[in-house]
Amino acid sequence: MATATRPGLRRVEPVMGTPVSLDIADDRPMTELAALADEVFAWLREVDARFSTYRPDSEVCRFDRGELLLSEASADLRRVLERCADLWGATDGFFDAYATGGLDPSGYVKGWAVQVASDRLRAAGADNHCLNAGGDVRVRGHSSTGLPWRIGVRHPWNPSAVCLVLSGTDLAVATSGVYERGHHVRDPRRGAPARGLRSVTVVGPDLGLADAYATAAVAMGVAGIGWLDRLPGYRHAVVTDDARCLHSTDLPLSTTDPVN
Amino acid sequence: MRRALLAITGLAASTTALVVFKAAPGTGHLAQAVPAPAPTATEKAEPTPGKGATKPKASSSPKPTRSASGASRSGSSAAPKTPAAQPSPSTVVGPVVRNEFGDVQVRITVVGDEIVNAAALRLPRGTAQSDQRSDQVDSRYSGTVGMVVERQSADLDTVSGATATSDAYRRSVQAAIDQAR
Repeated sequence: MATATRPGLRRVEPVMGTPVSLDIADDRPMTELAALADEVFAWLREVDARFSTYRPDSEVCRFDRGELLLSEASADLRRVLERCADLWGATDGFFDAYATGGLDPSGYVKGWAVQVASDRLRAAGADNHCLNAGGDVRVRGHSSTGLPWRIGVRHPWNPSAVCLVLSGTDLAVATSGVYERGHHVRDPRRGAPARGLRSVTVVGPDLGLADAYATAAVAMGVAGIGWLDRLPGYRHAVVTDDARCLHSTDLPLSTTDPVN
Repeated sequence: MRRALLAITGLAASTTALVVFKAAPGTGHLAQAVPAPAPTATEKAEPTPGKGATKPKASSSPKPTRSASGASRSGSSAAPKTPAAQPSPSTVVGPVVRNEFGDVQVRITVVGDEIVNAAALRLPRGTAQSDQRSDQVDSRYSGTVGMVVERQSADLDTVSGATATSDAYRRSVQAAIDQAR
């Protein structure tokens, strides 16, 4: 529901089993903005239908069962599989699309889908937008207040508080944590739930990679801090199980917030 | 001068926060998991094969109380006041029990119906080393280190954080932001 005081459009819809919040801050006619928003949600639903591991008829499931050859797969699926293979190498095996036995590229797909939607919005001239799918955020330009987007990082023990506030005009922010569904991130090497890191936030240019890096770091445990520290092009914020907060010195923290 | 005063106040505040967080429930899992009955027991985590199996009387001190998880620790509470006239000791090696920290395997020595010794053949190494590891990370870390803080920040446009379930979303700051629209 958009208010009259601020230009732009805001919309929340459940997609991929998670609430997706879209905020387009460009001062354009509402019909145009609505059409752009329709395209964003249609794309995310298409990704869900094609890449969901819960739908037996999805392209991912058909490929996993061997009903679809790699040469017959869509360009999107081939790109996703390629990226997952690259990520497996880049994360020393801690990002593993086959960790559960079958193919499950979800750890990359959600961030990638949001990144593609954001790229398309910019290509369509919507330079100022914020798209958040279940905590994975891509922002561009400025909010309707005219200021850079302000992104809170959820406090890992208090869902109604944040622990850091980031600010930027071109950021992908992904957070992976064990506070939501217990220790559901598994260390693919030991097959046991990952321990040591309560929450990992990765900030950088690409949301698919940021999301995968965050998940991999949680799986690595405490060793993931050093790994993130050496990761080129991406910044991080980590909260350990014993409530310490470690973050890159050049993390884009909001400067308007006096506490930061 | 004013800065120095601020710095000292800040240091005192963060130290207080540190103490509070350390004491907060749910943050010190490892410390809670270890009941720590005897002060020296936690140090003696190394298995001592060969000892005790042949000389039950010599190894009668109840030292084996360790294991970070408490999952497969058993038998060590039996006070080994074995009379010398008991039959010869026998050893039993337990199965490998897997818990969330790793594998645990215990060997016990029995004389009659009493356990006279217990030794860990396998313990999760990661648990014992986790503190050491985090110290190593800190010393090589190029970023900023502190305790996590709570902020009730206004004027947020969005919130990053795992909100996969609908219940988590309902309680989230993001939901509040979405509703305010």
